Amino acid sequence: MAEIKATKRLDITGDCCPITFVKTKLALEEMQPGEILEVLLTEGEPLSNVSRSLKAEGHKILQVKKIGANIYSLIVARGEEQ
Amino acid sequence: MALDFHELKKGGFIKQQGRDLFLMRLRAIGGHLTSRDLENIARIAAKYGRGEVHLTTRQGVEIPGVRLEQYQELIAEVKALNLLPGACGPRVRSIVACPGKEICPNGVIDTRAIAGELDRAFFGRDIPVKFKMAVAGCYNACTKPMENDVGLQGVVYPELVAGRCSLCGLCQSICPGGAIKIMNDRVSMDRKKCHGDGACIASCPNNAWVTATTGFVVYVGGKMGRNPQLGYKMFEFVPENDVVPLINSIIVVYEEKRKGQERLADVIRRLGPEVFRELIPYSGREEVAAGGGN
Repeated sequence: MAEIKATKRLDITGDCCPITFVKTKLALEEMQPGEILEVLLTEGEPLSNVSRSLKAEGHKILQVKKIGANIYSLIVARGEEQ
Repeated sequence: MALDFHELKKGGFIKQQGRDLFLMRLRAIGGHLTSRDLENIARIAAKYGRGEVHLTTRQGVEIPGVRLEQYQELIAEVKALNLLPGACGPRVRSIVACPGKEICPNGVIDTRAIAGELDRAFFGRDIPVKFKMAVAGCYNACTKPMENDVGLQGVVYPELVAGRCSLCGLCQSICPGGAIKIMNDRVSMDRKKCHGDGACIASCPNNAWVTATTGFVVYVGGKMGRNPQLGYKMFEFVPENDVVPLINSIIVVYEEKRKGQERLADVIRRLGPEVFRELIPYSGREEVAAGGGN
C-alpha cells in the first residue's frame, strides 16, 4: 500500500482512556477535513477504543501499521465538520 | 385500617428494623429512571420516609422508614406517579440491565427493549422461590448474567462484505478472540473463536464487517448469597424473539422438578445441567450461530 504522508503526528502511547481519544479528538479538531493525522498508540484497549471512536465521530482510518512490539500507527483522514 | 391485601401480596413493602417500620421498594426496569421519576421519588421519600433512599443491588430504590398505616396512601401515590413497585419474597424479581448499545460503545443489544419485554412477561410472577434475571448488552457481561437464575448476554455475529474491505488489518489487530486472520490478501474468520463482541463491526473504517445476526447467550441456574453458583452457559445463541418462550419453559421445568425451597441452581446441581437442558423443549439455533460453518 502506498505511503500516505501525515501532516501531524500524535503520540498517545503513554496515555490511557479517556485521555487517548480526547487528545486524538482535539488534534483532529485543529485540522481541516481530509487532512491526515498519524496516531501512535498501544495495542489492546487504546487501539480498539480509539479506532471505534474515530469511526463513530466520522473520521476515517486509512492505514494501520504495527511499528513496535505493541505499538501501532494509525493513519487517519479527518472527517467533514458535523 | 383497611389494608389492600391483594396489593400487599404483590410484594415490595418490606418489614425493616424498628417497631412499625417498613420500607417501600421500587423497581427501575433495567436501571432506567427519568428526572421526573427521581423528583417524584425524592418527594415521596421525604413525605412518607425520612428523606433518603437506599439503592438495591438490583437497580431498585428503597424508601425506608414508612409506617404500615401509610401504606394505602403511599402505594396509591406511587401508582399515580407511574413509579413501579418492586418485588420481594418468592417471586420473579426486577430485571437488571446495563445501558446497552443505546449508550455504551461496547453494547451490541438494545437492553432497554429486552428488559422491558422480560418485565412485562415475568416480573412479579409467583414462583416457589425468588427468581432473578439480568441482561448484559455485550461480551463484557458487566451486569453479571451468570450470577442470576437466568442471565442474557448479548452477542452479534459479523459477516464480511469483501468488496468493501481495504485489507487495512484493523479488525485482525483488535479482534479479542483472535478469530480474524488476513493472509495473502484474504480475510478469514474462525467462527468458533468469535466472541460475538462486534469490535470488527464497530471499528471497520470501510463498513466491510456488518451484522449477520444478533441474539443472546443464555446462562441458567446462577445464584449468589450463601451458596454461590455460577450459571451454566446452557444456550449458545438465542434470537430475541425466542427469549421469552425459552425462559417460560425454563420456569415451567423448574417448577415441575424442584423439591421444597430449591432455587433453580439447586435443581440443576441435583439433576445435572445436561439433564436439565434436555428437559427444555427448545431446539436451539446454535447451528446458525458461532458454532456452525462459515
